Amino acid sequence: MIKNILVNFKRYSFLMRQLISRDFKVKYKRSVLGVVWSLLYPILMMVVMSIVFSQMFRFKVDGINYLVYLMTGIVMWQYFSEATNNAMTSVVSNFALISKVYIPKYIFPLSKCIFVGINFVLTLIPWLGLIILTQFGLGEFPASINWYYLIIPYIFLCFFLFTVGVGLLLSCVSVFLRDVFYIYGIILTIWNYFTPVFYSIEILPQKLQSLFQLNPLYQFITAVRSIVLYGARPSFMTLGIIGLIGVGTLVVGSIVFKKNQDKFIYYI
Amino acid sequence: MIRLEHVSMKFNLGIEKEYSIKEAFINFFKPKKNKKKKEVFWALKDVSFSVKKGEVIGLIGSNGAGKSTLLKTVSGVLKPTKGKIIVNGVISPMIELGAGFDAELTARENIYLNGAILGYSKEFLDEKFDEIVEFSELKDFLDAPVRNFSSGMTAKLAFSIATIVNPEILIVDEILSVGDIKFQEKSKNKMLEMIKGGTTVLYVSHSLDSIRELCDRVIWLEHGEIVKMGDTEQICKEYYRKQMGKELKEKAD
Repeated sequence: MIKNILVNFKRYSFLMRQLISRDFKVKYKRSVLGVVWSLLYPILMMVVMSIVFSQMFRFKVDGINYLVYLMTGIVMWQYFSEATNNAMTSVVSNFALISKVYIPKYIFPLSKCIFVGINFVLTLIPWLGLIILTQFGLGEFPASINWYYLIIPYIFLCFFLFTVGVGLLLSCVSVFLRDVFYIYGIILTIWNYFTPVFYSIEILPQKLQSLFQLNPLYQFITAVRSIVLYGARPSFMTLGIIGLIGVGTLVVGSIVFKKNQDKFIYYI
Repeated sequence: MIRLEHVSMKFNLGIEKEYSIKEAFINFFKPKKNKKKKEVFWALKDVSFSVKKGEVIGLIGSNGAGKSTLLKTVSGVLKPTKGKIIVNGVISPMIELGAGFDAELTARENIYLNGAILGYSKEFLDEKFDEIVEFSELKDFLDAPVRNFSSGMTAKLAFSIATIVNPEILIVDEILSVGDIKFQEKSKNKMLEMIKGGTTVLYVSHSLDSIRELCDRVIWLEHGEIVKMGDTEQICKEYYRKQMGKELKEKAD
């Protein structure tokens, strides 16, 4: 079965690349700065966010660089919400194509997750820049730079698998129930506030804290933060859980998608 | 080459009504017998036939007879509700040309995008790029976005991309009337060339003239069922008599 999947992947990898490059071209088609926006946008976002949260609201987390704390959360949250949102609408918005030519349908949500993922990787450049700047006195405390950074790609990979899984689920359900477009928008807003992006989980009562641990996004973000801010390796248990969340969600999403994809065409 | 065994295709016409969460919710709690009966429509009913390699098959029938549905099941877009379809060989579907175009992209970019959608490889497209451009007669507009193209230009580009391969099976849904008369002639010749090259063709058209010119055999569909199948001349005549109430003129040549 794995072999079949890989053969299929290879066969459609050119189409996948075309779809992703289409997204890039369309996104920046009529802007003067073009792809530079992929870098500039997160930088400007960081400036605004840092002014709002650390200067106006005076948020703080004891003993660490709050700016890096905030940005790690925002960058990862942004990826998740944008990728899943794009993936959700991808099947429905490509109905014209699906009804005329045979294309494996998982390509649409997957290519969206990769497309947003490339943007995400680009935002890591200003993110790393920020971490380096803290070494030269930006903020109260410097961020940590250490060998555990090598674990971060693994965390991001699991994070990506998780996102693809959620994207597959959403794109499949939204075919049958268009209300999901609106419902998910609300869910995302709630989810955003229940994910410690700009605050620390420690300000919450003990009982709530353990409840928050069930949030997969909390696990991903916290693992990266513990490396970047505390210079601590996430426990093997945490890394295992992260892997399980990623692979598990992807498997569930793929199975649901595969089971239902032949019915899509009746709901056009 | 292509074999269909008792293929049936069911559509639920009432599906539109269950789109919203409210309806789905209400329906969930309704007792079984009160549930709205879904209106069912059989687009194809127990269709069986087989096509040999190199044969050119014409499909005729009035609108809504199931011709396009049949083509879509063969090309794999639709999965039949019942029955089996066996296809050996690479299919090039020419159902509604240009479905894969992105209006924001230029013609050049769209050649690659649409080619990828039709399953071509990058190397193949690189190699055939000039040929596609030349056939489409759009050399001067290569870097203009397709949104600025006229419908005829778009269709010409799409036709050129779709026919650049030598597919083993070609599925054609009423596309020979594309572009200006010069291009129509050219596209017809291209089709003839492919047919001579041994391509198996499934061809849907309302133009009996082109059916009589191109096809070895004809399948006459009505209400999702095969009415008759066989010799082109004979079936075209019968079909014409049934539809128009008068005799079809003899073939021009």
